[in-house]
Amino acid sequence: MGDVLAAIVQRPNFLTFVIIFLWGFYIMITRYNLVKKLIGMYLVQTSVIFFLVSISAKKGATVPILLSTTDPVHAFDYTNPLPHVLTLTAIVVGVATLGVALALCAAIYRTYGSLDEEEILKRLE
Amino acid sequence: MSRHLPVLLFLLPLFAAISMPVVCLKHRMLSWPIAITVLSSMVVLSVMNLMSIMHNGEVHYALSGWPPPLGIEWVADGLASIMIVALSLLGLVALVFAGPTSPKDLRGRVVHFYTLILLLVSALTGIVFAGDLFNLFVFLEVAALSSYALVGVAGGRALVAAFRYLIIGTLGASFYLLGVSYFYAVTGTLNMGDIAEKLPHLLTSKAVVGGLLFMFVGLGIKMALVPFHTWLPDAYTHAPDSVSPILAALVTKVALLGWIRIIFWVLGAKVVVYDIPILLFVGVLGVFAAVIGAVLALTQHDLKRMFAYGGISHIGIILIGVSQGNQTGFAGGVLYLLNDAVMQAALFFWAGVAMRQYGVRTLEDVGRIGGHAPWMTVALVILAMGMIGLPPTGGFFGKWYIILGALEAGSYMAVGAILLSTMLTLAYFVKIFEPVFRQTPTTSDMIRVPTPLQFKVSLGVTSAAIMVLGLWSDPLVELLLHVALPSGL
Repeated sequence: MGDVLAAIVQRPNFLTFVIIFLWGFYIMITRYNLVKKLIGMYLVQTSVIFFLVSISAKKGATVPILLSTTDPVHAFDYTNPLPHVLTLTAIVVGVATLGVALALCAAIYRTYGSLDEEEILKRLE
Repeated sequence: MSRHLPVLLFLLPLFAAISMPVVCLKHRMLSWPIAITVLSSMVVLSVMNLMSIMHNGEVHYALSGWPPPLGIEWVADGLASIMIVALSLLGLVALVFAGPTSPKDLRGRVVHFYTLILLLVSALTGIVFAGDLFNLFVFLEVAALSSYALVGVAGGRALVAAFRYLIIGTLGASFYLLGVSYFYAVTGTLNMGDIAEKLPHLLTSKAVVGGLLFMFVGLGIKMALVPFHTWLPDAYTHAPDSVSPILAALVTKVALLGWIRIIFWVLGAKVVVYDIPILLFVGVLGVFAAVIGAVLALTQHDLKRMFAYGGISHIGIILIGVSQGNQTGFAGGVLYLLNDAVMQAALFFWAGVAMRQYGVRTLEDVGRIGGHAPWMTVALVILAMGMIGLPPTGGFFGKWYIILGALEAGSYMAVGAILLSTMLTLAYFVKIFEPVFRQTPTTSDMIRVPTPLQFKVSLGVTSAAIMVLGLWSDPLVELLLHVALPSGL
C-alpha cells in the first residue's frame, strides 16, 4: 500500500491526468444538458493531451535547435519536439470535433427548442 | 509512376473535397458529376495499384522523402490494396444510389453531402494505408467527423443520433490516443514497423499492456464491437437514406481493418500477454459480438435497425475468422469482411428504396412490397441468402473458410458461435419474409411513382456482387493467401 501511494505521489502529472479524465467522464455521463456534456468531452480530450505533453517534460534541456554546428550533438541536452507536435495535431482534431458538436447543438436547439436531453427525448416521442 | 499510386489515391478525393464547396457554390448540379468522376478514377487507380502490388511487391512510401522511423510512412501491401479496391467500388455505387438530382431526404444539402462523402472516402483511404499509429488516429478522427456530419446533414431526428454518435466516438478517439501515447512513452516511436521490432522485449511492461487495452477500447468503440455498439443502430437508422449505405458498408469495416493491422503487423499473431494469447482474447470478443448482435437483431421491428444489428453481429464473425491463428481462418475473415461491406451496402440500399418507393419502415409494412415489385423481392432473397450464408453467395464461402480455419485450430466454440449466429440470422430473415410472401392485400395510400433507374442499378450491382463474390471466391481466396497474409501466420 505504501509503495503504491509513494508511486502515485512521485508522479503528480499522472495523478492530475487521471483526475481530469475521470472528472470529464463523470460530467459526460451524469449531465443532461448537451453543452455540459460537451464540456465533459473536452475535459477528457484535454486530459489526454496533457498526459502526452507531460511525459515529454525534461529537466535542464533546451529547445531542439542545435547549439553549435561544430560540436558533437548530445541528444541529452535537447527536449524531444515530437510529442509537442503530436499535441498540436491532437488539439486541432479536438477543436474540429468541438466545432461539429456545437453546430449539432445549435441545430438541435433550433429544431427542438431545448438543449436538455430529457426534454428533447420527450419531444421525440 | 506506380510507386505514387497509394498517395494519389488519398490526395485525389481530399483535394476534390476541399475544392467542391468553392466550385459548386454557384453550380450545385456539378457536385454529383465531380464526385462520380473522382470515385471512378479512384476505382481505376486502385485496380492499377493492386496490379502493381501483385507484380512488384508491397510499396513503402516515405512522404516528402523523410525515411520511415522519423517521417510518415504509407504502407501499401496486399491487404490494403484489396481493401482500397472494395472501398472505391462501394463508394461509387453509393454515389450512384444517391443520384444526380437533389434527393428529398437530404433537404437540398447536396453540396454538403458530396463534400462530406469525398472527405470520408479520403480519410478511410488514409486509415487503410497509414503506416504509423498517430496518423491512424488523425484519419480515424477525420472519418468520424465526416460521419457525424453526414448522419446529421438532413437535420430532424438524426441530429440527436448524430450528437450521441459524436460523444461516444470522441470518447473512443481519446482512448485510442491515450493508448498511442503509452506506446510512444515506452518505445519512443510511432511507426508500426519500428514498434513491431521493439515490442517483443517489452511485452511484460505494464505500460504496453495498458496502452494495448486503451487502443482496443478506442478502436472497439469505432467499429461497434458489442459492449460498445450502442451508438450504431440509432445513427444508421435515423441517417438519411442516401447516407446510411456508405456508412454501414465502410466505416466500421475500415476501423476493424485498423485493428487487424495493429494485431498482426504491430504485435504479431503469436503474442501472449500475461498468459493470455492475444488471438484468443479477440476470438472470445468475436464470439460474444456474433451471438449478441444477432439476438438483438431478432428483437427489432424497424428494418434499418434490424440490418444495423445484423452488421454488428457480422463484425463478430470477421473477428472470429481472423483470430484463428491460421492462414485459412485469416483469409476467410478478410473474405467475409469484403463480403459484409457489400452486403451492408445492399441491405441499406434495399431499406432506402423500400422507404422511398413504398413507405416501408417497419416489419408490419413489408407486405406492401410483395405483389408490386418482384425485383425487390428477388433482391431481398439474394440478400438473405448472403446474410444467412447459403451457397453460392459470398457469405457462404466466407463462413465456410472461417469454419475450416476454426476446425484446423480446434476451436469448437468459434464453430458453435458461427452456427448459432447463422440460425439467428435465418430467424430474423424469416420475420421479414413472412409478410412478403403472405401477400396480404394492404391498401397503400402511396402514389406509385416509377422506380428511378439509379435505385435499380445500385441494388442490382450489389446483389450481383454478392453472387459474384461467392462464385469467384476461389481466385479471391487464392489472391488473399498469396498477397494479403501477415508474416508469422
